[in-house]
Amino acid sequence: MSDEEHHFESSDAGASKTYPQQAGNIRKGGHIVIKGRPCKVVEVSTSKTGKHGHAKCHFVAIDIFTAKKLEDIVPSSHNCDVPHVNRIDYQLIDISEDGFVSLLTDSGGTKDDLKLPTDDNLSAQMKSGFEEGKDVVVSVMSSMGEEQICAVKEVGGGK
Amino acid sequence: MFNGIAGGGAEDLPQLQSTMRAIELACSYIQINTNPAAAEATILSLHQSPQPYKACRFILENSQVASARFQAAAAIKEAAIREWSFLSTEDKGGLISFCLGYVIQHANSSDAYVFSKVSSVAAFHRYSFSRILGNDLFRIFFFWRYMYTICMLIVSVSQVSEFSPSTSSAMSLPREFHENCRKSLEQNYLKTFYSWAQDAALSVTNKIVESNSDVPEVKVCNAALRLMHQILNWEFRYSKGGTKGSINVFSDGMRSDTASSRKTECVIVQPGASWCDVLLSSSHVGWLINLYSLRQKFAFEGYWLDCPVAVSARKLIVQLCSLAGETMHRSRAASAPPSVRVLPWIDPPDVISKEIEEGRSGSEMIDGCRALLSIATVTIPVVFDRLLRSIRPFGTLTLLSLLMGEVVKVLLANSNDKETWSYEARDILLDTWTTLLASMDGSGVLFSFSNLFTNCNFTPIVASASATTDEDDADCLASVSAMDERLGSYALIARAAVDATVPFLTKLFSDRVARLHQGRGTVDPTDTLEEVYSLLLIIGHVLADEGEGETALVPDALQTHFVDVVEAGNHPVVLLSSSIVKFAEQCLDANMRSSIFSPRLMEAVIWFLARWSFTYLMLVEDCNLGSNQLQSLPSRACLFTFFNEHNQGKFVLDIIVRISLTSLMSYPGEKDLQELTCHQLLHALVRRRNICFHLLSLDSWRNLANAFANDKSLFLLNGVSQRSLAQTLVLSAYGMQSSDASNQYVKDLMAHMTSSLVDLANNSDLKNLAQQPDIIMLLCIRELRGAASATEPRTQRAIYEMGLSVMNPVLRLLEVYKHESAVIYLLLKFVVDWVDGQISYLEAHETAGVVNFCMSLLQIYSSHNIGKISLSLSSTLLNEAKTEKYKDLRALLQLLSHLCSKDMVDFSSDSIETQSTNISQVVFFGLHIITPLITLELLKYPKLCFDYFSLISHMLEVYPETLAQLNSDAFNHVLTTVDFGLHQQDVDIVTMCLRALKALASYHYKETKAGNTGLGSHAAGQTDPNGVFHEGILSRFLRTLLQFLLFEDYSTDLVSTAADALFPLILCEPNLYQGLGNELIEKQGNPNFKTRLANALQVLTTSNQLSSSLDRLNYQRFRKNLNNFLIEVRGFLKTK
Repeated sequence: MSDEEHHFESSDAGASKTYPQQAGNIRKGGHIVIKGRPCKVVEVSTSKTGKHGHAKCHFVAIDIFTAKKLEDIVPSSHNCDVPHVNRIDYQLIDISEDGFVSLLTDSGGTKDDLKLPTDDNLSAQMKSGFEEGKDVVVSVMSSMGEEQICAVKEVGGGK
Repeated sequence: MFNGIAGGGAEDLPQLQSTMRAIELACSYIQINTNPAAAEATILSLHQSPQPYKACRFILENSQVASARFQAAAAIKEAAIREWSFLSTEDKGGLISFCLGYVIQHANSSDAYVFSKVSSVAAFHRYSFSRILGNDLFRIFFFWRYMYTICMLIVSVSQVSEFSPSTSSAMSLPREFHENCRKSLEQNYLKTFYSWAQDAALSVTNKIVESNSDVPEVKVCNAALRLMHQILNWEFRYSKGGTKGSINVFSDGMRSDTASSRKTECVIVQPGASWCDVLLSSSHVGWLINLYSLRQKFAFEGYWLDCPVAVSARKLIVQLCSLAGETMHRSRAASAPPSVRVLPWIDPPDVISKEIEEGRSGSEMIDGCRALLSIATVTIPVVFDRLLRSIRPFGTLTLLSLLMGEVVKVLLANSNDKETWSYEARDILLDTWTTLLASMDGSGVLFSFSNLFTNCNFTPIVASASATTDEDDADCLASVSAMDERLGSYALIARAAVDATVPFLTKLFSDRVARLHQGRGTVDPTDTLEEVYSLLLIIGHVLADEGEGETALVPDALQTHFVDVVEAGNHPVVLLSSSIVKFAEQCLDANMRSSIFSPRLMEAVIWFLARWSFTYLMLVEDCNLGSNQLQSLPSRACLFTFFNEHNQGKFVLDIIVRISLTSLMSYPGEKDLQELTCHQLLHALVRRRNICFHLLSLDSWRNLANAFANDKSLFLLNGVSQRSLAQTLVLSAYGMQSSDASNQYVKDLMAHMTSSLVDLANNSDLKNLAQQPDIIMLLCIRELRGAASATEPRTQRAIYEMGLSVMNPVLRLLEVYKHESAVIYLLLKFVVDWVDGQISYLEAHETAGVVNFCMSLLQIYSSHNIGKISLSLSSTLLNEAKTEKYKDLRALLQLLSHLCSKDMVDFSSDSIETQSTNISQVVFFGLHIITPLITLELLKYPKLCFDYFSLISHMLEVYPETLAQLNSDAFNHVLTTVDFGLHQQDVDIVTMCLRALKALASYHYKETKAGNTGLGSHAAGQTDPNGVFHEGILSRFLRTLLQFLLFEDYSTDLVSTAADALFPLILCEPNLYQGLGNELIEKQGNPNFKTRLANALQVLTTSNQLSSSLDRLNYQRFRKNLNNFLIEVRGFLKTK
């Protein structure tokens, strides 16, 4: 697969939020769009329809933002939508009173439109790290127009 | 204390009563759930108090509350297990006779659970039990009321006495003791029990016969029959002669029969010669058969066939049919009677099956089949066939095939509902056939028997077999190989009569194919497709054996038959094979493919081709020959030469490759099919070198390679198949003339992927690009991994270069894809496989390069993952994330283990001196990087835990000196995990930790003895800045290990490994050991125990001429000492 082809693929898919992939090739741990929601596949099983029919894939997947469980059945030779899931790391600059955080982007600007994650463990970690003055890096996962903080990491500094 | 009627006398009475009341109260509190904690504490105190027998006995005899009695029984049981070894013989006897007496008296009472508890106490001490029982039984034997109980009791004992190591450890008695119990029971009592049971049954038989309806005696009779059955099930070991003198303590008692793989259980009864008189006296068998023939009497009441007595009687008869061993040899003829008596159950088959269809119970028929199986297991086929000759015009084999035909017919008729009698009967009969046919193969006198089989008409069986596979499929839709076993049995039958079956199958196949073509486009082909599918499977089984892991031979039956065929084109096997290949070739045509070749049929085709080509295609005369005496047959020669390289072989090979390419390209998304193609068919092709040679010259193979390197549709294959395809293609390089050519071939094959990977990694916009079409990316890595795992000496260079060129890109990608766990895992696995394949070939400077690469890989990985907390939106996702992490870490550990292997296996041209990289340091450094990632949570994954500890124990055993040089942080971390491992449940892991300890301590001991520092400050202990003294590492482990051995629960298998670790530890720290010993002795309150413990400790280190050098002999002695020591003291040390 040459590099040019990558460009071709990506320029085509750049506008869309998803790209097509054969259902038979989506594996456990991959992503898939079910009912318009980006999901992570937690279970795939293939079944055969009738004695000489084509195989079908049964997906059980979990919405990556809301953690709701969704299921779908697709013939394995058909295409499914696979969401682009991006994760970008930002440095945490501030946590404001109203629960919004401000993040430092690569280009030096700030990004202020994200809230603290609803997960207690995660937000506690962010807060404590921030209060202790450590460098806190957060990963923001974005897919199909939604964004959410999904991971936190303290980078030694701030001593 | 159990001897006196009133125990200690009247003065204890109030106290006993108060105990009883307390327990009763506690029990009732628990039942109504008031203050459960206190109640539990009360009961627990009873359970744990030393020698609670008197109180328990009092409660058992006097209490009105059932649950209190239950608790008392349980307490007796626990206490007895705990204290058994130091009860006096009198007490033991008293305890057992009390238990037995209680059981017998209360046999009719309703609280069965108390009963079972007490009887299990009795059963627990089975050795003494059987002795006492032997004496007492005569006295009480004639009380019919007890008969049933006694029988049930013995049944339970003989079941319990499948001696399990767990119970033996609980009593801290060695296994040998149990073996002795077993032996005495077997040799002295079983036969007596059997005769009693027989007498008992005999004496009630008349009553049953005379009475008209269900009398209580029936119950007694049933119990007696069950007892007899159970006794015959006993695993007779000591009566076979020869091994009488010594007891093999560690033999697991595996039966050496062939029944293990069967679907139907068939136990061979081998009671030994001494049983002859009991079992074979004609009156015994006759009585049993007569008893059973009572069914005529009860037949009208309709209850006989399935009533318990009948079932037990039938079971016993079946068992008598399988009498084997010395008993059998004495009078083989005597086994005929029971087998002949069984006959009415199954003959004539058609009449009986009709009766069953009309509502009769099928159990008799099934037991009849079982009897046949039993007889077949213990006789050779000729004798088997002859059994019936005396009373019927045909032999048993004919009956068997008639029966089989009938059963299959019924099975076909009721194909919709499963659990029918015919289903079971079919399985049993198949087993019978397998037994008969397999025993023939073994004896190697195939010829003399073959005429036996020609008399039986197999064709209907095979025909129905191919038909039955239809509906078998319905319930196991899964895969082609799912019904392997059953089809294998059918094939064995078919091979017994190849003369008839091969032409028959050929005809059947061409017939179906013709029908398929006729109806194309007009008729729904599903049924015919299904038939062709089944036919392909069964033909595959008939023509070829599964060649798993070895060179598949053409089955003997096919080699030896068809002697009169001289022209290859007429050989039935050739005809059959050719017609199938021709049929398969049609799938290359797109129209045919869409109308006939459904994915499932394709699966069968591919499966068949894989199996067939592995056995028949391009045979090399010498290796596929099989038995030599058959070589000269002309028919054999034509079978062999027809598909060889000079004849049709190349042509067929070309077709097969084209078919496999089609199945990969034209059936998108059919995972099973693609897996079969990649794993079975293509793999089978590249397994032989001469085929590889031809493959490389084929255009079709080049097309496949091209498609693999460039075609997008092959990129869409499922990951595993992709990897396996890459592996296959690289393996085929084997067929190249020279090693240069092979390397060039591999290089060309992989160049495109490597370069695209490099390009991508060097792309300046990688960060944005990478996130988008990630999947296409993955595929390249997977292919590289496949290629890497196919490393062979010849192609090693090319693959090394391939890996070398992607080293930096891999690191780059690792950086970019830090959030995509799937990609990370692929990258890691690729590196693992690549290093595994390459490391032993590398020269010193190359090794250094690879090692550096691995270390940076580890560092990048850990820097991304340390201290990271992810969102736990749902528990499933969280688990997923954990699993991913676990897989990554496991891959990294594997990487380190592979690096380790460099020190063991090294093919490089360097001499040892030039070895520049110190592998052990590298590995410890690597461990240092990744151990912080391995949390205790993650060690709960058994595989990770296993890998981690096997690496650690390996490192400690091989490189203890490197460990000594580690800084104290790293050192402590390693040893903390060892400490953690010691407390794992898994025996393997504890063993590994103990081995690590042994290595560590013996290293230190040897070094210090030689005047070196050994572990130096680590072992000496140190005072930290706060003035607190930390004791040395060895002292700490000595303490832990002693604690572990004396007070914790563990499997007895661990004792000898623990001894190996304890011995050097004691030698290293003799003073501490003394101190600990004294401490232990001081703690004992009981002066009796005190002296015992002191003696035992003394004996542990001095007996058996134990000296202070660490050689094999001393280790052995110490092991023995420790064993004795534990037996001696563990019992009372564990009691609180």
